[in-house]
Amino acid sequence: MIGRDGVTGLVACATSLVLFWLTLGLEKNPLVPIGPGFYPRLVLGITAALGFALLVVDVLRRRARPTDARAAPAVRPNYALVALTFAAFGAYVLLLPLLGYRVATFLFVLGGSFLLEPPRGAGLWLRGPLLALATTLATYFIFEDYLAVLLPRGSWTGF
Amino acid sequence: MYGLLWDAIVNLVQLKYLLPLVIGTVAGVVGGALPGVTITMTVIIVLPFTFGLDPLQGLAAMTGVYVGGSAGGLVTATLLGIPGTPSSVATTFDGFPMAKRGEAGRAMWLGVWGSLFGGMIGGVFLIAATGPLAEFAVAFGPWEFFSLFVLALSMVAGLVGHSLLKGFLSGAIGLVVTVLGNDPVMGQPRLTLGIEFLEGGVPFLPVLIGVFAFAQIMSDVEKMGRGVRLRESLDRAITLSVSHGKVVWEIVSRPFLLLWTSFIGVLIGVLPAVGGSAANMMAYDQAKKFSRHPERFGTGTPEGIIASESANNANVGGSLVTIMAFGIPGDAVTAVMLGALTIHGIQSGPLFISQNTQVAYGIFAAYLLAHPIMALVIAFGARFMLRVVTVPKAALFPVVLVLCVVGAYALGNNMSTVYVLLIFGLLGYAMVKVDLPLAPLILGVILGDQIETNLIRALMTDGDLWLFVTRPISGGLLAASALSVGFALWQHRRQHGRGEAGEDAQDF
Repeated sequence: MIGRDGVTGLVACATSLVLFWLTLGLEKNPLVPIGPGFYPRLVLGITAALGFALLVVDVLRRRARPTDARAAPAVRPNYALVALTFAAFGAYVLLLPLLGYRVATFLFVLGGSFLLEPPRGAGLWLRGPLLALATTLATYFIFEDYLAVLLPRGSWTGF
Repeated sequence: MYGLLWDAIVNLVQLKYLLPLVIGTVAGVVGGALPGVTITMTVIIVLPFTFGLDPLQGLAAMTGVYVGGSAGGLVTATLLGIPGTPSSVATTFDGFPMAKRGEAGRAMWLGVWGSLFGGMIGGVFLIAATGPLAEFAVAFGPWEFFSLFVLALSMVAGLVGHSLLKGFLSGAIGLVVTVLGNDPVMGQPRLTLGIEFLEGGVPFLPVLIGVFAFAQIMSDVEKMGRGVRLRESLDRAITLSVSHGKVVWEIVSRPFLLLWTSFIGVLIGVLPAVGGSAANMMAYDQAKKFSRHPERFGTGTPEGIIASESANNANVGGSLVTIMAFGIPGDAVTAVMLGALTIHGIQSGPLFISQNTQVAYGIFAAYLLAHPIMALVIAFGARFMLRVVTVPKAALFPVVLVLCVVGAYALGNNMSTVYVLLIFGLLGYAMVKVDLPLAPLILGVILGDQIETNLIRALMTDGDLWLFVTRPISGGLLAASALSVGFALWQHRRQHGRGEAGEDAQDF
């Protein structure tokens, strides 16, 4: 059984080795005899070695102290909320080019604020839409009108 | 030099530069005062607003954020006992007890004036040392630059986090990110994995924004809905009026304390990625060791507040020296400033001062002016900041994430940088969960291309690898890298022996 550090080391080592293998197909350039693969191989080799070392250290430590486990945190992390927040953000990023900045941002801020603090009263029900509207309008006008940033338009909405 | 500095100050008091500086300082002070919103996150939020400005306007705003943020944390640290930023943790030790016994104004203003004096001492070092250090670095060849970057990376990897191995692995992952895309010497595509936007490589600003913003926000989101109180109550009866003459005298009558703790702040600032969080703790520790009454520390003694606050603002000056003389970011805030320079087509490094004299002296002037502005902002806005602390994070976080997206999008006016932001946001949070430090990753991403370019240049000039060791400066820098790794090993072992390092292992 390997622990969290062991898994981290294993992932780092495996990813580095796959990328290392991909560098073997790189062609050498006659102007730079060292070739474009020299430095990536050096870096990936070091990363793979460090990942492997982390795995070994974790295995050895677990053998020495097999019952060792981290103390449970005082408050159990709310990973479900973290996953939902990431999902909401991912949906926002994917919908930006489809719905356009204004619609996607309004929906994300509204949904995000309700997700992080579910509305339980008129004040919170009102806060969400107002915050979403204010954020969308303020950022849109500041960036488009004053800072010359052309924010995404939606291919579905044309807006 | 002083003529140039005076010209820069006169230039900067024009409204077009003063306004971004004041806005940046206000944003920094408010961001610094908000527990859970770091200076890095504040500078990330401010970054997209600087894209449409000229370089000096943008850098003045960021310098304001940096100075304001370093001091802003003291407001909540002294009045609420909650450090607004990690760099004001030590301020709470004596600031809050002093405030609790009815001297809230004295506690806060000792911090403000301590920040101002410490910052000015850091400014003297910044202005006096940057030019000579840059001139020294101009003589560097590719061997010396390679060794300098290796030293920076090894120091960061060794000094942050609980595990040396994890620090190095994090730095190595940062270097791996830079080998994706075209090689920097001949522009030949490599490891693009068939993804079109990877051909140009991975831009470091969306990486930095993603890694730091998500690591911070998601770590707070974890605690939401679990009964953890994220809003603070405000004591409306608090009085902040004070005799400024007396407070200033309390500080200047302790010249050794002020100079020594400011020096510690500068020194920590010069070291890459150590930052204000270490500076204030180390300065507090030193102040206690040198005090005739160490037993009074922690009960509301002025020395504790002065030491912590003078060190964390002097640290800003030291950090700016490293980026302006060598092009190596001292911490995440200066890494964002480095990105802002790149966006405006300015190359940082030893030639920065000679090639961009107006911008360089403009940064010096902005740094000096930001300190009195910071004091004025706190004087007029301390009560408002205490109210801002009560802003619910459920409302704050979606807005911050939107600004991160706009900041990433505005870099190239396309979605590819936003996808990079999302991917590295996930990676940043994952790294926090597996206890990999973030600073080495960022430094690896920033320095990767330069490490490769200088290594290839050195080897193409002369294939003899021993030159890295036998050239005096390069050899000295590599020896310093080895020493820093040795020191970090010794430090980790000592901490492990004392049982200070937390046990990392956890079943998956």
